[in-house]
Amino acid sequence: MPIFNPDIEAMERNELLELQNERLQIVVNQAYSNVDFYRKKFDETGLNPDDIKSLEDLKKIPFTTRKDLMDNYPYGMFAVPLRDVVRLQFPLGIYGNPIVIGYTRQDLKIWRELVARIMAGIGITDHDILQVAFNYGLFLGAVRFNQAAELIGAAVVPTSIASAEVQLRIMQDFRSTVLISTPSFALHIMETMKRKKMDPRSLSLNIGLFGAEPWPEPVRQVIEENFKIKAYDIYGVMELIEPGVAGECSARAGLHIFEDHFFAEVINPHTGQTLSAGQEGELVLTTLTTNAYPLLRYRTSDLTALHYEPCSCGRTMARMDRVLKRADKMISVRGINVFPEKIEEVLAGIDGVGPGYCLEVTEKQGMNDRLKVRVEASPEIFTTGEEREKVLQESVQLALRRAIGLRVEVEIGKIPNTVRRESAKSVEEEC
Amino acid sequence: MLCGEWFFIMLKIKNIDAFFGKIQVLRHVTLHVEAGEIVSLIGANGSGKTTLLNVISGLHPSRNESRIFFDMETRGMKPEKIVALGILQVPEADKVFTPLTVLENLELGAYLKRQDRVKLAEEMEKVFQLFPILRERKDQPAGTLSGGERQMLALGKALMGQPKLLMLDEPSLGLAPTVVSEIFHIVRSLNDRGITILLVEQNAKEALRISHRTYVLDTGRIVLSGSGQELLNNDEVKRAFLGKDYRGKWER
Repeated sequence: MPIFNPDIEAMERNELLELQNERLQIVVNQAYSNVDFYRKKFDETGLNPDDIKSLEDLKKIPFTTRKDLMDNYPYGMFAVPLRDVVRLQFPLGIYGNPIVIGYTRQDLKIWRELVARIMAGIGITDHDILQVAFNYGLFLGAVRFNQAAELIGAAVVPTSIASAEVQLRIMQDFRSTVLISTPSFALHIMETMKRKKMDPRSLSLNIGLFGAEPWPEPVRQVIEENFKIKAYDIYGVMELIEPGVAGECSARAGLHIFEDHFFAEVINPHTGQTLSAGQEGELVLTTLTTNAYPLLRYRTSDLTALHYEPCSCGRTMARMDRVLKRADKMISVRGINVFPEKIEEVLAGIDGVGPGYCLEVTEKQGMNDRLKVRVEASPEIFTTGEEREKVLQESVQLALRRAIGLRVEVEIGKIPNTVRRESAKSVEEEC
Repeated sequence: MLCGEWFFIMLKIKNIDAFFGKIQVLRHVTLHVEAGEIVSLIGANGSGKTTLLNVISGLHPSRNESRIFFDMETRGMKPEKIVALGILQVPEADKVFTPLTVLENLELGAYLKRQDRVKLAEEMEKVFQLFPILRERKDQPAGTLSGGERQMLALGKALMGQPKLLMLDEPSLGLAPTVVSEIFHIVRSLNDRGITILLVEQNAKEALRISHRTYVLDTGRIVLSGSGQELLNNDEVKRAFLGKDYRGKWER
């Protein structure tokens, strides 16, 4: 398969390290002199940008967390004034405690190239017709597929959240060769195709590019066998760029991280210790070229391991294992990220709702399909009749939908000994 | 391509720290120049641009952890050794020997080459073709030349040393606007002839226009890098060079 930018993607590793070193000095200098948060953090910890002379010294810098981004809303993390920014994104929505991320024109140009690198790497060319079935409203990176396709010269059919039947019709009408969506939506389309007894050979699909939620290997097999396609994984981090941080190549031996723009480390999520190659831990990324929103040692909460041996595809960029687990309590429901903290925040703002709640996730093919929230209500609710209970249930549902953008089932009840549950999985077992 | 093609790296400097007495003027500067490139270094007065060239030429000391590679590690070498390797610096001022004639200046430029008369004449002919005005003035003392002619003589003198890497310090300084564009045109054509160029300039706009890549130096630190075109559109550069600062991030 062709390499989009061979001078970079296949460069000697020692040269790549030199390039990272050179870019690190710039991002650290920029962060210190232009980002209020980093200046404060450096000064507080007695750290000087001059102390960071190499990638090795990066370890001296404390981690940046999602909480930092929330605490420093709106401008505390920006390295440039808003007039340089051409795009703002609120990856958690604008309700409650939002985070806001900005991009300059240059940032967007880089982002577009990274998605194009992934596309080229899995064999997408100017002859392809890409059907992008991501939710353009909720998944902010969806439009990046359009721009990357333009760079390659491929055509995009943005079907967004059209129903599975419409998706299939469009696939036939336009002879789409590539399906780009969440894996769960691909499964949904696949089931509809089977139900309607459609022959996958009546479609022209031959490549699938899926991401935004964890999808285990068995799911890949089911999708590939039923659609008769090759399915590839794409990875992003909503606080940096999503999609486009990493992507699989034709060798499918992990996802290549674009190390010319991101420096990757894996740490033990409990101790913060840096782990060596091959060991699984939390992925920590430092932006090397980001203008508007530079992040130093950002904890992604995604669990993976890094591999540095050259890949058979010819790229020298490190590879990360596919992300199937998180270090935090975030769950992904049909590609939409849901943070339990966000749910707590919403519930805290509603009268008559107790502190306890419980999340229940319905799985389909090993991926989360539906989310149900069982909320503990104050005892008066139950003594004043069903009507009030219904009103409460509806208002919780509406508030959650507004805050996380997802239809959530809500059940009001008395939950004995309610506590915050560790993860969606354990909740399922207990509830 | 986005980051410039990653060709053979001619000059690589890492973590350069340099001082004037106790004052640190360069703070772990790391950069590279690829063969065939014009790389410019822009920054305000006192940002450390000239010092950086002097460090590369071996005229100014750098700290022990600093590293300079030009085929081999050149940090700590004597300046004349570095010139012999092919790094030639054209300084900002006092770039020609004013009492000597143009011809003598050019001959001095080839001093380290120790080549025979025929070869010398060949090199000189190349310089005269590039700068016809120098042929006309060849028997005049360099002190009688105009600013632009002196700059051309300085370039010609450097070319006599057959440089691999030519380091130009403010070649446009003090010249009339029409002469400035002529000098930049010449720099471009030298690069077309295969000479790699590291250019220090305060005239950021012109420098960005002719450079493949540019580094921005601010009080001894590299704070930006990118292709000339990228930086021409960069608001940070506009702020640094047009003095358009902002008070708050929200300001429009």
